[in-house]
Amino acid sequence: MPGPVATTEMAELTLIDAVTAALAWELGHDNTVIVMGEDVGVNGGVFRATDGLQQKYGEDRVIDTPLAEAMIAGMAVGMAAEGLKPVAEIQFMGFIYPAVDQLINHAARLRNRTRGRLSCPMVLRAPFGGGIHAPEHHSESTEAMFAHMPGLRVVIPSSPARAYGLLLAAIRDPDPVVFLEPKRIYRLARQEVADDGAALPLDVCYTLREGEDVTLVTWGAMTHETLQAADALGGEGVSAEVIDVATISPLDIDTILESVARTGRLVIVHEAARNCGVGAEIAALVAEHGIYDLKAPVQRVAGFDTIMPLYQLEMDYLPGVARILDAVRVTLED
Amino acid sequence: MNTFLLPDLGEGLPEAEIISWHVGPGDHVSADAPLVSVETAKAVVEVPSPFSGRVIKLHANAGDFVKTGGALVDFELEDATDPGHDDPAVANTDAGTVVGTMPVGDTVMVEQAVAGNSRSRPGRIRATPAVRALAKRLSVDIESVAASGTRGQVTSGDVDAAARSPTATASNADSEGWETLRGLRRAMAHSMTRANAEICHATVFDDADIDEWDTGEDVTIRLLRAICSGVEAEPALNAQFDAASMRRRRLPQLDIGIAVDTPNGLIVPVMRDVRAATLASRRQELQQLKKAAAGRELAPRELHGAGITLSNFGMLAGRYARVVVVPPGVAILGAGAIRRDAVAAGTELAVRRILPLSLSFDHRCITGAESCRFLAAAIADLQRQN
Repeated sequence: MPGPVATTEMAELTLIDAVTAALAWELGHDNTVIVMGEDVGVNGGVFRATDGLQQKYGEDRVIDTPLAEAMIAGMAVGMAAEGLKPVAEIQFMGFIYPAVDQLINHAARLRNRTRGRLSCPMVLRAPFGGGIHAPEHHSESTEAMFAHMPGLRVVIPSSPARAYGLLLAAIRDPDPVVFLEPKRIYRLARQEVADDGAALPLDVCYTLREGEDVTLVTWGAMTHETLQAADALGGEGVSAEVIDVATISPLDIDTILESVARTGRLVIVHEAARNCGVGAEIAALVAEHGIYDLKAPVQRVAGFDTIMPLYQLEMDYLPGVARILDAVRVTLED
Repeated sequence: MNTFLLPDLGEGLPEAEIISWHVGPGDHVSADAPLVSVETAKAVVEVPSPFSGRVIKLHANAGDFVKTGGALVDFELEDATDPGHDDPAVANTDAGTVVGTMPVGDTVMVEQAVAGNSRSRPGRIRATPAVRALAKRLSVDIESVAASGTRGQVTSGDVDAAARSPTATASNADSEGWETLRGLRRAMAHSMTRANAEICHATVFDDADIDEWDTGEDVTIRLLRAICSGVEAEPALNAQFDAASMRRRRLPQLDIGIAVDTPNGLIVPVMRDVRAATLASRRQELQQLKKAAAGRELAPRELHGAGITLSNFGMLAGRYARVVVVPPGVAILGAGAIRRDAVAAGTELAVRRILPLSLSFDHRCITGAESCRFLAAAIADLQRQN
């Protein structure tokens, strides 16, 4: 496909900048890519993820939709079935549920239903997670719901570089991807990212730090606190390996098992409620395939099994460094 | 001074109505504390303070409408040297969110993320946490246990076996080859140290001429019978001695310790109530005792109570030895290797079968004469034709 010549420009991007850059790159290089959603055009998006894209690529490529999530997802399924690559935005994960019918009953099963004649190369982006002092419905982490659905790929970046590379991979993937963006760290830090259109592999974990004594597995915004916990442990002489799961479904359990075979200890950190969270699936797989390597019970550090509190209490709900360290110490008990 | 502008509170809405102020001019306010309640077309929203500092001026009153991007509050910042806060552009920065506050950092991440795992799985010990706990309880070094599990894992049976057989755990040598003694060998080290430190050893050597024995004579049974005769002649050797209280106890029956060599170390089970008249029938019992000793199936009580011990070391090699008495016992009879030797028979030399004997005793509670009286009776018994 003809397009601009790839130039490697390193820029310090925030995670949200990286999302914008990836969308811009793919809009510029693939005419079938369509960005759509509420206020993604003129306004530039509630978090500015699509800022300037409509001006540059036009109203046919960057489409403002009505406030109707079911319709947004339904349109995306139809476009994808007809050969476009829609990247639809849901403003907050709390508003994604009307779209779930389209995701589960159509997007996830289109390839299976048509015996492979059609696939559904769509991406549904949604910011998720707490920590920005938002009102009700704006702070939950319900990624496990989507991970439970066969046919959906669920991808969560935790750094600007992975936001860029994984979003490009998600757009290019021939099957539907739910791309969940940890909004608490949208602008928390910048990172040098080469805006060169290079995708990162899906369906693999990313080992952020190598360690020998305990494996810390996390994803999304919690990588931030987990890396801080690993730093604190390093000061105590405990060497922690930190793994960003990145694609929570399908799960790259092999990387986790290999790490646990080395460390013998596993602590899973996620912001979502504990009950039936993705941490439970990881713990179950390690119990099935890695029990002989475990030196200590697997620990989960998670949100509480309550309604996500409003912002005065939300930092008490979100796992912090202290809770991660407590869990690690349990695994180190002799 | 810094001016906080009304952020976009709801998807591009043009203005908001001030419902109520939570602060007034002169108030000190912390970052994230509620500043003002405003009503947009969607909802009443609490706007938190983006700064810590003192409020200088409110730009609107309750009931006023403020345009998005319009001035709301003037602050005097707490930390005027903070470059982020000092920057006048801050007040005009897009808040980056329509609700709440977007945490903004100016750190630059450096990470070395590796897709998957860069290292291979090393050959580590595989065992369930329960088996690891068992090994810990039994003081077994799980790293040295041979794994028999179908998936290469150490099983609870492997740990049990290792606990029973200290050779399995004795392979925990460090890089210079030093290993910690365990089990029987460790017990031997302790008891011999104690014996050497406490007991005043004296040893008498002599020979028994056993040339008259029938072929196939049971050496151990004959030695036990000789001890019976010796103790009958001199009961002082069937006793225990407690040096701490300076007390001696004559034993009511003859219990004889039998020194048994095992790959793991020395063990001395006790044969109870040995009597010369019934000894011939106890051969099987003796065999079982030795087997149980080698298999470490003996209870501690089966290792206690003897005053005198028999060590038939000559089955391997050696003629005489300063055999060691272990407290609270008082004597030990060692039997060396049987040999043919040239001995005087009358005025002639004759070749006879000779059983060399070594009797060690604790000279603190047994006299030399008592030990020799015992030895003489024992030799006489051994030299008798069965």
